[in-house]
Amino acid sequence: MSILSFKNVGKVFPKDKEELVAIQNFTLDVEEGEFVCLLGPSGCGKTTLLRMVAGLESISKGAIELNGKGITEPGSDRGMVFQDFGLFPWRNVKRNIEFGLEVRGIPPEKRAETAQKYVELVGLKGFEQSHPNELSGGMKQRVGIARALANDPAVLLMDEPFGALDAQTRNQMQFELLRIWKETRKTVLFVTHSVDEAVFLADRIVVMTGRPGSIKDLWELELPRPRNRASSEFIALRKDILDELEVQKTVV
Amino acid sequence: MMGTTSWSWREILRREGTKIVLTAISLVSFLLIWWGLSIYLESMKLSYLPAPDVVFEAFLVSLSGDPLTHNPLLNHIIASLNRFVWGFALAIVLAVPLGLLMGGSKYARYLGMPASEILRPIPPLALAGFFFAAFGVLYGPIVTVFYGVFFPVLYNVMFGVRSVDPILLDAARTLGASRLQMFGKVILPFTIPYLMTGISIGLGVGWMVIVAAEWIAAPGGGVGALILSTYTNGMYDYMFVGIIAVAILGILTTSLSRLLENKVAERMGMK
Repeated sequence: MSILSFKNVGKVFPKDKEELVAIQNFTLDVEEGEFVCLLGPSGCGKTTLLRMVAGLESISKGAIELNGKGITEPGSDRGMVFQDFGLFPWRNVKRNIEFGLEVRGIPPEKRAETAQKYVELVGLKGFEQSHPNELSGGMKQRVGIARALANDPAVLLMDEPFGALDAQTRNQMQFELLRIWKETRKTVLFVTHSVDEAVFLADRIVVMTGRPGSIKDLWELELPRPRNRASSEFIALRKDILDELEVQKTVV
Repeated sequence: MMGTTSWSWREILRREGTKIVLTAISLVSFLLIWWGLSIYLESMKLSYLPAPDVVFEAFLVSLSGDPLTHNPLLNHIIASLNRFVWGFALAIVLAVPLGLLMGGSKYARYLGMPASEILRPIPPLALAGFFFAAFGVLYGPIVTVFYGVFFPVLYNVMFGVRSVDPILLDAARTLGASRLQMFGKVILPFTIPYLMTGISIGLGVGWMVIVAAEWIAAPGGGVGALILSTYTNGMYDYMFVGIIAVAILGILTTSLSRLLENKVAERMGMK
Protein backbone atom coordinates (compact mmCIF):
# COMPACT_ATOMS: atom_id res chain seq x y z
CA MET A 1 0.00 0.00 0.00
CA SER A 2 1.04 3.54 -0.45
CA ILE A 3 2.78 5.00 2.57
CA LEU A 4 3.54 8.50 1.30
CA SER A 5 1.12 10.47 -0.88
CA PHE A 6 1.66 13.77 -2.62
CA LYS A 7 -1.72 15.23 -3.46
CA ASN A 8 -1.60 18.04 -5.97
CA VAL A 9 1.25 19.64 -4.07
CA GLY A 10 2.34 23.17 -4.88
CA LYS A 11 4.93 25.52 -3.48
CA VAL A 12 4.98 29.27 -3.91
CA PHE A 13 7.72 31.57 -2.72
CA PRO A 14 7.10 35.28 -2.35
CA LYS A 15 9.48 37.14 -4.63
CA ASP A 16 9.48 40.93 -4.58
CA LYS A 17 5.84 41.79 -5.29
CA GLU A 18 5.16 38.70 -7.32
CA GLU A 19 5.01 35.06 -6.45
CA LEU A 20 7.51 32.51 -7.61
CA VAL A 21 5.85 29.18 -8.33
CA ALA A 22 8.46 26.56 -7.48
CA ILE A 23 6.34 23.41 -7.60
CA GLN A 24 3.03 22.79 -9.31
CA ASN A 25 0.50 19.94 -9.36
CA PHE A 26 2.86 17.34 -7.96
CA THR A 27 0.97 14.12 -7.38
CA LEU A 28 2.68 10.85 -6.49
CA ASP A 29 2.13 7.76 -4.36
CA VAL A 30 5.15 6.06 -2.84
CA GLU A 31 4.74 2.41 -1.84
CA GLU A 32 6.03 1.03 1.42
CA GLY A 33 9.59 -0.20 1.08
CA GLU A 34 10.00 1.48 -2.27
CA PHE A 35 13.16 3.28 -3.36
CA VAL A 36 12.12 6.39 -5.28
CA CYS A 37 14.53 8.85 -6.86
CA LEU A 38 13.54 12.42 -7.63
CA LEU A 39 15.57 13.49 -10.62
CA GLY A 40 15.60 16.86 -12.26
CA PRO A 41 17.57 19.91 -13.32
CA SER A 42 18.76 22.24 -10.59
CA GLY A 43 16.08 24.65 -9.49
CA CYS A 44 13.26 22.24 -10.28
CA GLY A 45 12.24 22.15 -6.65
CA LYS A 46 13.21 18.56 -5.84
CA THR A 47 15.02 19.56 -2.65
CA THR A 48 12.12 21.83 -1.69
CA LEU A 49 9.79 18.90 -2.18
CA LEU A 50 11.91 16.75 0.10
CA ARG A 51 12.05 19.50 2.72
CA MET A 52 8.28 19.75 2.57
CA VAL A 53 8.02 16.05 3.39
CA ALA A 54 10.48 16.61 6.25
CA GLY A 55 8.29 19.42 7.54
CA LEU A 56 11.09 21.95 7.18
CA GLU A 57 9.21 23.83 4.48
CA SER A 58 5.53 24.76 4.45
CA ILE A 59 3.18 23.30 1.85
CA SER A 60 1.51 26.08 -0.16
CA LYS A 61 -1.06 23.98 -2.01
CA GLY A 62 -2.39 20.45 -1.76
CA ALA A 63 -1.19 18.03 0.89
CA ILE A 64 1.49 15.47 1.65
CA GLU A 65 0.27 12.54 3.69
CA LEU A 66 2.32 10.00 5.57
CA ASN A 67 0.27 6.93 6.48
CA GLY A 68 -2.84 8.96 5.72
CA LYS A 69 -1.91 11.80 8.04
CA GLY A 70 -1.15 15.25 6.67
CA ILE A 71 2.35 16.59 7.28
CA THR A 72 2.50 19.94 9.05
CA GLU A 73 5.78 19.95 10.95
CA PRO A 74 9.05 18.03 11.37
CA GLY A 75 8.83 14.74 13.21
CA SER A 76 10.88 11.70 14.05
CA ASP A 77 8.72 9.56 11.73
CA ARG A 78 10.72 11.05 8.86
CA GLY A 79 14.50 10.81 8.87
CA MET A 80 16.55 13.18 6.76
CA VAL A 81 20.06 12.82 5.37
CA PHE A 82 21.71 16.04 4.17
CA GLN A 83 24.18 16.67 1.39
CA ASP A 84 26.55 18.48 3.78
CA PHE A 85 26.03 15.84 6.46
CA GLY A 86 24.79 18.25 9.17
CA LEU A 87 26.63 16.33 11.88
CA PHE A 88 27.12 17.96 15.27
CA PRO A 89 30.88 18.58 15.36
CA TRP A 90 31.08 18.51 19.17
CA ARG A 91 29.46 15.09 19.40
CA ASN A 92 31.28 11.88 18.63
CA VAL A 93 29.86 9.30 16.25
CA LYS A 94 27.89 7.49 18.92
CA ARG A 95 26.41 10.65 20.40
CA ASN A 96 25.52 11.99 16.97
CA ILE A 97 23.58 8.80 16.27
CA GLU A 98 21.95 9.02 19.70
CA PHE A 99 20.73 12.59 19.18
CA GLY A 100 17.22 11.68 18.02
CA LEU A 101 16.79 9.12 20.77
CA GLU A 102 18.08 11.59 23.34
CA VAL A 103 15.62 14.38 22.43
CA ARG A 104 12.80 11.87 22.47
CA GLY A 105 13.66 10.93 26.04
CA ILE A 106 14.81 7.34 25.47
CA PRO A 107 16.78 6.16 28.54
CA PRO A 108 20.59 6.08 28.16
CA GLU A 109 21.04 2.27 28.19
CA LYS A 110 18.45 1.80 25.45
CA ARG A 111 19.99 4.67 23.51
CA ALA A 112 23.45 3.16 23.64
CA GLU A 113 22.10 -0.20 22.55
CA THR A 114 20.19 1.25 19.57
CA ALA A 115 23.11 3.48 18.58
CA GLN A 116 25.45 0.50 18.61
CA LYS A 117 23.11 -1.43 16.36
CA TYR A 118 23.17 1.35 13.76
CA VAL A 119 26.91 1.94 14.15
CA GLU A 120 27.34 -1.64 13.10
CA LEU A 121 24.72 -1.47 10.36
CA VAL A 122 26.56 1.36 8.61
CA GLY A 123 29.96 -0.25 9.16
CA LEU A 124 31.44 2.22 11.64
CA LYS A 125 32.36 -0.22 14.39
CA GLY A 126 35.51 1.04 16.13
CA PHE A 127 34.75 4.68 15.30
CA GLU A 128 32.11 5.24 18.01
CA GLN A 129 34.30 7.71 19.89
CA SER A 130 35.59 9.60 16.84
CA HIS A 131 34.46 13.12 16.15
CA PRO A 132 33.16 14.11 12.70
CA ASN A 133 36.31 16.10 11.87
CA GLU A 134 38.31 12.88 12.18
CA LEU A 135 36.18 11.10 9.56
CA SER A 136 36.31 11.01 5.77
CA GLY A 137 33.34 12.28 3.75
CA GLY A 138 32.01 8.79 3.17
CA MET A 139 32.23 7.94 6.85
CA LYS A 140 30.52 11.21 7.78
CA GLN A 141 27.58 10.30 5.59
CA ARG A 142 27.47 6.85 7.15
CA VAL A 143 26.96 8.63 10.46
CA GLY A 144 24.30 10.80 8.83
CA ILE A 145 22.44 7.72 7.62
CA ALA A 146 22.76 5.91 10.96
CA ARG A 147 21.56 9.00 12.82
CA ALA A 148 18.47 9.29 10.62
CA LEU A 149 17.73 5.55 10.91
CA ALA A 150 18.16 5.42 14.68
CA ASN A 151 14.74 7.04 15.10
CA ASP A 152 13.28 4.17 13.07
CA PRO A 153 11.46 6.56 10.72
CA ALA A 154 8.74 5.45 8.30
CA VAL A 155 10.56 7.12 5.41
CA LEU A 156 14.16 8.04 4.83
CA LEU A 157 14.58 11.34 2.99
CA MET A 158 17.93 11.79 1.29
CA ASP A 159 18.90 15.13 -0.21
CA GLU A 160 21.75 14.49 -2.66
CA PRO A 161 23.49 12.65 0.15
CA PHE A 162 26.53 11.68 -1.90
CA GLY A 163 26.83 14.96 -3.78
CA ALA A 164 29.78 16.11 -1.67
CA LEU A 165 31.74 12.89 -2.18
CA ASP A 166 34.32 11.95 -4.81
CA ALA A 167 33.19 9.62 -7.59
CA GLN A 168 34.74 6.47 -6.15
CA THR A 169 33.40 6.99 -2.63
CA ARG A 170 30.07 7.87 -4.15
CA ASN A 171 29.79 4.54 -5.98
CA GLN A 172 30.83 2.69 -2.85
CA MET A 173 28.25 4.54 -0.78
CA GLN A 174 25.53 3.69 -3.30
CA PHE A 175 26.36 0.02 -2.81
CA GLU A 176 26.28 0.47 0.93
CA LEU A 177 22.99 2.31 0.83
CA LEU A 178 21.35 -0.50 -1.12
CA ARG A 179 22.65 -3.02 1.41
CA ILE A 180 21.29 -0.92 4.30
CA TRP A 181 18.00 -0.42 2.48
CA LYS A 182 17.70 -4.18 1.96
CA GLU A 183 18.39 -4.85 5.64
CA THR A 184 16.03 -2.22 7.02
CA ARG A 185 13.35 -2.35 4.29
CA LYS A 186 12.83 1.40 4.63
CA THR A 187 10.93 3.52 2.18
CA VAL A 188 13.47 5.85 0.60
CA LEU A 189 12.93 9.14 -1.16
CA PHE A 190 16.21 10.13 -2.74
CA VAL A 191 16.93 13.44 -4.46
CA THR A 192 19.69 13.54 -7.05
CA HIS A 193 20.62 15.28 -10.26
CA SER A 194 22.74 12.35 -11.38
CA VAL A 195 20.97 10.08 -13.86
CA ASP A 196 23.59 7.43 -13.27
CA GLU A 197 22.95 7.44 -9.55
CA ALA A 198 19.18 7.29 -10.01
CA VAL A 199 19.39 4.37 -12.44
CA PHE A 200 21.73 2.51 -10.13
CA LEU A 201 19.56 2.94 -7.05
CA ALA A 202 15.88 3.37 -7.79
CA ASP A 203 12.83 1.18 -8.10
CA ARG A 204 11.18 4.17 -9.66
CA ILE A 205 12.56 7.42 -11.02
CA VAL A 206 10.47 10.58 -10.99
CA VAL A 207 11.79 12.90 -13.71
CA MET A 208 10.83 16.45 -12.97
CA THR A 209 10.35 19.45 -15.24
CA GLY A 210 12.18 22.73 -14.75
CA ARG A 211 10.55 25.49 -12.74
CA PRO A 212 7.75 25.28 -11.86
CA GLY A 213 8.62 21.71 -10.94
CA SER A 214 6.14 19.00 -11.67
CA ILE A 215 6.32 15.41 -12.82
CA LYS A 216 7.45 15.03 -16.38
CA ASP A 217 7.80 11.29 -16.49
CA LEU A 218 7.89 8.20 -14.29
CA TRP A 219 10.30 5.34 -14.95
CA GLU A 220 9.73 1.90 -13.45
CA LEU A 221 13.06 0.10 -13.28
CA GLU A 222 12.90 -3.65 -13.68
CA LEU A 223 16.68 -4.13 -13.75
CA PRO A 224 17.71 -6.70 -11.15
CA ARG A 225 20.15 -5.65 -8.43
CA PRO A 226 23.09 -5.45 -8.09
CA ARG A 227 22.99 -3.41 -11.24
CA ASN A 228 25.90 -3.41 -13.60
CA ARG A 229 26.77 0.05 -14.83
CA ALA A 230 28.49 -1.45 -17.88
CA SER A 231 25.51 -3.58 -18.98
CA SER A 232 23.75 -2.58 -22.17
CA GLU A 233 20.36 -2.25 -20.40
CA PHE A 234 21.85 0.12 -17.85
CA ILE A 235 23.52 2.25 -20.47
CA ALA A 236 20.42 2.34 -22.67
CA LEU A 237 18.20 3.34 -19.78
CA ARG A 238 20.66 5.98 -18.71
CA LYS A 239 20.75 7.40 -22.20
CA ASP A 240 16.96 7.52 -22.55
CA ILE A 241 16.52 9.39 -19.28
CA LEU A 242 19.43 11.67 -20.04
CA ASP A 243 17.88 12.50 -23.42
CA GLU A 244 14.65 13.34 -21.69
CA LEU A 245 16.48 15.73 -19.38
CA GLU A 246 18.53 17.23 -22.20
CA VAL A 247 15.45 18.04 -24.27
CA GLN A 248 14.12 19.86 -21.28
CA LYS A 249 17.27 21.87 -20.82
CA THR A 250 17.04 23.34 -24.31
CA VAL A 251 13.41 24.21 -23.73
CA VAL A 252 13.88 25.82 -20.33
CA MET B 1 63.84 -1.35 27.22
CA MET B 2 67.16 0.20 28.17
CA GLY B 3 67.58 3.90 27.75
CA THR B 4 63.99 4.56 26.81
CA THR B 5 63.90 7.75 28.82
CA SER B 6 67.14 9.16 27.46
CA TRP B 7 65.97 8.27 23.97
CA SER B 8 62.68 10.10 24.43
CA TRP B 9 64.48 13.11 25.89
CA ARG B 10 66.78 13.12 22.93
CA GLU B 11 63.75 12.79 20.71
CA ILE B 12 62.11 15.80 22.34
CA LEU B 13 65.33 17.78 22.00
CA ARG B 14 65.62 16.80 18.37
CA ARG B 15 62.09 17.86 17.60
CA GLU B 16 61.92 20.91 19.86
CA GLY B 17 65.64 21.78 19.87
CA THR B 18 65.43 24.69 17.44
CA LYS B 19 62.49 26.14 19.29
CA ILE B 20 64.22 25.88 22.66
CA VAL B 21 67.41 27.45 21.37
CA LEU B 22 65.60 30.31 19.67
CA THR B 23 63.45 30.96 22.75
CA ALA B 24 66.60 31.14 24.86
CA ILE B 25 68.24 33.51 22.38
CA SER B 26 65.16 35.72 22.42
CA LEU B 27 65.06 35.94 26.23
CA VAL B 28 68.80 36.44 26.67
CA SER B 29 69.00 39.14 24.01
CA PHE B 30 66.03 40.88 25.60
CA LEU B 31 67.88 41.01 28.92
CA LEU B 32 71.13 42.11 27.28
CA ILE B 33 69.46 44.91 25.31
CA TRP B 34 67.70 46.07 28.45
CA TRP B 35 70.99 46.01 30.36
CA GLY B 36 72.95 47.72 27.60
CA LEU B 37 70.33 50.37 27.15
CA SER B 38 70.26 51.18 30.85
CA ILE B 39 74.05 51.57 30.94
CA TYR B 40 74.03 53.68 27.79
CA LEU B 41 71.21 55.94 28.93
CA GLU B 42 72.86 56.48 32.30
CA SER B 43 76.26 57.30 30.81
CA MET B 44 74.68 59.80 28.43
CA LYS B 45 72.56 61.19 31.30
CA LEU B 46 69.56 60.95 28.97
CA SER B 47 67.08 59.25 31.23
CA TYR B 48 66.94 56.63 33.87
CA LEU B 49 66.28 53.00 33.04
CA PRO B 50 67.04 50.69 35.98
CA ALA B 51 69.24 47.76 35.04
CA PRO B 52 67.90 44.19 35.49
CA ASP B 53 70.01 43.55 38.58
CA VAL B 54 68.76 46.72 40.26
CA VAL B 55 65.17 45.74 39.50
CA PHE B 56 65.82 42.28 40.85
CA GLU B 57 67.09 43.75 44.13
CA ALA B 58 64.02 45.96 44.31
CA PHE B 59 61.91 42.89 43.65
CA LEU B 60 63.43 41.07 46.62
CA VAL B 61 62.74 44.06 48.86
CA SER B 62 59.19 44.39 47.48
CA LEU B 63 58.36 40.85 48.53
CA SER B 64 58.18 41.98 52.13
CA GLY B 65 57.05 45.51 51.27
CA ASP B 66 58.59 48.30 49.22
CA PRO B 67 59.90 51.37 51.13
CA LEU B 68 57.01 53.51 49.84
CA THR B 69 53.77 51.60 50.34
CA HIS B 70 55.18 49.07 52.85
CA ASN B 71 52.77 46.63 51.32
CA PRO B 72 54.21 43.25 50.25
CA LEU B 73 54.13 42.76 46.47
CA LEU B 74 51.83 39.78 46.84
CA ASN B 75 49.23 41.99 48.52
CA HIS B 76 49.32 44.40 45.60
CA ILE B 77 48.91 41.50 43.20
CA ILE B 78 46.05 39.99 45.16
CA ALA B 79 44.29 43.36 45.40
CA SER B 80 44.48 43.82 41.61
CA LEU B 81 43.54 40.24 40.94
CA ASN B 82 40.55 40.59 43.22
CA ARG B 83 39.19 43.59 41.32
CA PHE B 84 39.94 41.94 38.03
CA VAL B 85 38.20 38.67 38.86
CA TRP B 86 35.05 40.37 40.16
CA GLY B 87 34.76 42.67 37.18
CA PHE B 88 35.46 39.81 34.81
CA ALA B 89 32.99 37.43 36.44
CA LEU B 90 30.28 40.08 36.49
CA ALA B 91 30.83 40.74 32.79
CA ILE B 92 30.54 37.05 31.89
CA VAL B 93 27.44 36.53 34.02
CA LEU B 94 25.64 39.40 32.31
CA ALA B 95 27.08 39.32 28.79
CA VAL B 96 26.54 35.61 28.09
CA PRO B 97 22.75 35.49 28.60
CA LEU B 98 22.33 38.87 26.92
CA GLY B 99 24.46 37.74 23.98
CA LEU B 100 22.42 34.55 23.63
CA LEU B 101 19.21 36.55 23.75
CA MET B 102 20.37 39.17 21.28
CA GLY B 103 21.77 36.51 18.98
CA GLY B 104 18.59 34.47 19.06
CA SER B 105 15.89 37.11 18.86
CA LYS B 106 15.89 39.95 16.38
CA TYR B 107 13.62 41.95 18.64
CA ALA B 108 16.12 41.70 21.48
CA ARG B 109 18.74 42.76 18.95
CA TYR B 110 16.72 45.76 17.77
CA LEU B 111 16.27 46.71 21.40
CA GLY B 112 19.82 46.15 22.57
CA MET B 113 22.00 47.06 19.61
CA PRO B 114 21.50 50.84 19.38
CA ALA B 115 22.48 51.36 23.01
CA SER B 116 25.42 49.00 22.89
CA GLU B 117 26.62 50.48 19.60
CA ILE B 118 26.78 53.87 21.33
CA LEU B 119 28.49 52.54 24.46
CA ARG B 120 30.88 50.02 22.94
CA PRO B 121 33.31 52.45 21.24
CA ILE B 122 33.80 54.48 24.44
CA PRO B 123 37.10 53.33 25.96
CA PRO B 124 36.50 52.00 29.49
CA LEU B 125 39.15 54.36 30.82
CA ALA B 126 37.27 57.37 29.50
CA LEU B 127 34.48 56.31 31.80
CA ALA B 128 36.65 55.25 34.73
CA GLY B 129 36.34 58.61 36.47
CA PHE B 130 32.59 58.45 36.21
CA PHE B 131 32.52 54.88 37.50
CA PHE B 132 34.65 55.87 40.52
CA ALA B 133 32.36 58.80 41.21
CA ALA B 134 29.21 56.74 40.79
CA PHE B 135 30.22 53.47 42.43
CA GLY B 136 32.93 54.59 44.86
CA VAL B 137 36.58 53.63 45.07
CA LEU B 138 35.73 50.08 46.09
CA TYR B 139 33.47 49.19 43.18
CA GLY B 140 34.66 51.79 40.65
CA PRO B 141 37.61 49.71 39.38
CA ILE B 142 35.47 46.57 39.28
CA VAL B 143 32.86 48.32 37.14
CA THR B 144 35.61 49.67 34.88
CA VAL B 145 36.95 46.16 34.27
CA PHE B 146 33.39 44.93 33.83
CA TYR B 147 32.81 47.53 31.15
CA GLY B 148 35.97 46.55 29.28
CA VAL B 149 35.18 42.83 29.29
CA PHE B 150 31.42 43.05 28.77
CA PHE B 151 31.32 44.11 25.12
CA PRO B 152 33.83 41.67 23.63
CA VAL B 153 32.00 38.81 25.34
CA LEU B 154 28.54 40.12 24.39
CA TYR B 155 29.42 40.60 20.74
CA ASN B 156 31.22 37.29 20.37
CA VAL B 157 28.40 35.30 21.94
CA MET B 158 25.86 37.12 19.80
CA PHE B 159 27.95 36.49 16.70
CA GLY B 160 28.27 32.82 17.69
CA VAL B 161 24.51 32.36 17.94
CA ARG B 162 24.02 34.06 14.60
CA SER B 163 26.68 31.86 12.99
CA VAL B 164 24.95 28.59 13.86
CA ASP B 165 24.90 26.46 10.73
CA PRO B 166 21.22 26.26 9.65
CA ILE B 167 21.76 22.65 8.56
CA LEU B 168 22.44 21.72 12.17
CA LEU B 169 19.13 23.26 13.20
CA ASP B 170 17.36 21.46 10.34
CA ALA B 171 18.97 18.19 11.36
CA ALA B 172 17.94 18.68 14.98
CA ARG B 173 14.36 19.47 13.96
CA THR B 174 14.02 16.45 11.71
CA LEU B 175 15.38 14.31 14.55
CA GLY B 176 12.54 15.51 16.74
CA ALA B 177 14.14 18.25 18.86
CA SER B 178 11.89 20.88 20.45
CA ARG B 179 12.81 24.56 20.33
CA LEU B 180 14.24 24.37 23.82
CA GLN B 181 16.27 21.29 22.93
CA MET B 182 17.58 22.98 19.80
CA PHE B 183 18.75 25.84 21.96
CA GLY B 184 20.37 23.65 24.61
CA LYS B 185 21.79 20.95 22.36
CA VAL B 186 22.71 22.88 19.21
CA ILE B 187 22.92 26.65 19.66
CA LEU B 188 24.58 26.63 23.08
CA PRO B 189 27.39 24.18 22.28
CA PHE B 190 27.94 25.88 18.93
CA THR B 191 28.45 29.21 20.70
CA ILE B 192 31.01 28.04 23.25
CA PRO B 193 34.11 28.50 21.06
CA TYR B 194 32.89 32.03 20.25
CA LEU B 195 32.49 32.68 23.96
CA MET B 196 36.07 31.54 24.48
CA THR B 197 37.26 34.05 21.88
CA GLY B 198 35.33 36.77 23.68
CA ILE B 199 36.94 35.73 26.94
CA SER B 200 40.49 35.91 25.53
CA ILE B 201 39.86 39.38 24.14
CA GLY B 202 38.25 40.39 27.43
CA LEU B 203 41.28 39.17 29.38
CA GLY B 204 43.57 41.45 27.40
CA VAL B 205 41.31 44.46 27.78
CA GLY B 206 40.72 43.70 31.46
CA TRP B 207 44.40 43.83 32.40
CA MET B 208 44.94 46.99 30.45
CA VAL B 209 42.04 48.61 32.23
CA ILE B 210 42.74 47.50 35.78
CA VAL B 211 46.24 49.00 35.93
CA ALA B 212 45.11 52.42 34.75
CA ALA B 213 41.94 52.33 36.86
CA GLU B 214 44.08 51.87 39.96
CA TRP B 215 45.83 55.13 39.13
CA ILE B 216 42.64 56.88 40.13
CA ALA B 217 42.34 55.18 43.48
CA ALA B 218 43.19 51.80 44.92
CA PRO B 219 42.38 51.34 48.59
CA GLY B 220 44.40 48.42 49.94
CA GLY B 221 46.94 48.71 47.13
CA GLY B 222 47.17 47.20 43.70
CA VAL B 223 49.79 46.75 41.03
CA GLY B 224 48.62 49.83 39.16
CA ALA B 225 48.74 51.86 42.35
CA LEU B 226 52.26 50.58 43.03
CA ILE B 227 53.39 51.64 39.56
CA LEU B 228 51.91 55.12 39.86
CA SER B 229 53.12 55.90 43.37
CA THR B 230 56.66 54.66 42.74
CA TYR B 231 56.68 56.65 39.50
CA THR B 232 55.64 59.90 41.16
CA ASN B 233 58.37 59.37 43.72
CA GLY B 234 61.04 58.63 41.15
CA MET B 235 61.54 55.08 42.40
CA TYR B 236 61.88 53.62 38.93
CA ASP B 237 63.42 50.37 40.09
CA TYR B 238 60.29 49.65 42.15
CA MET B 239 58.10 50.87 39.33
CA PHE B 240 59.62 48.22 37.12
CA VAL B 241 58.85 45.58 39.73
CA GLY B 242 55.18 46.57 39.32
CA ILE B 243 55.44 46.53 35.54
CA ILE B 244 56.96 43.08 35.54
CA ALA B 245 54.30 41.83 37.96
CA VAL B 246 51.60 43.01 35.56
CA ALA B 247 53.39 41.39 32.64
CA ILE B 248 53.62 38.07 34.44
CA LEU B 249 49.97 38.18 35.51
CA GLY B 250 48.97 38.94 31.95
CA ILE B 251 51.03 36.06 30.60
CA LEU B 252 49.55 33.69 33.19
CA THR B 253 45.95 34.63 32.48
CA THR B 254 46.32 34.50 28.70
CA SER B 255 48.07 31.12 28.91
CA LEU B 256 45.24 29.93 31.12
CA SER B 257 42.60 31.08 28.67
CA ARG B 258 44.53 29.64 25.73
CA LEU B 259 44.78 26.32 27.52
CA LEU B 260 41.06 26.44 28.25
CA GLU B 261 40.32 27.39 24.65
CA ASN B 262 42.33 24.44 23.37
CA LYS B 263 40.67 22.05 25.81
CA VAL B 264 37.25 23.29 24.80
CA ALA B 265 38.08 23.06 21.10
CA GLU B 266 39.31 19.52 21.63
CA ARG B 267 36.21 18.51 23.56
CA MET B 268 33.97 20.15 21.01
CA GLY B 269 35.66 18.17 18.25
CA MET B 270 36.85 21.33 16.55
CA LYS B 271 40.52 20.57 16.70
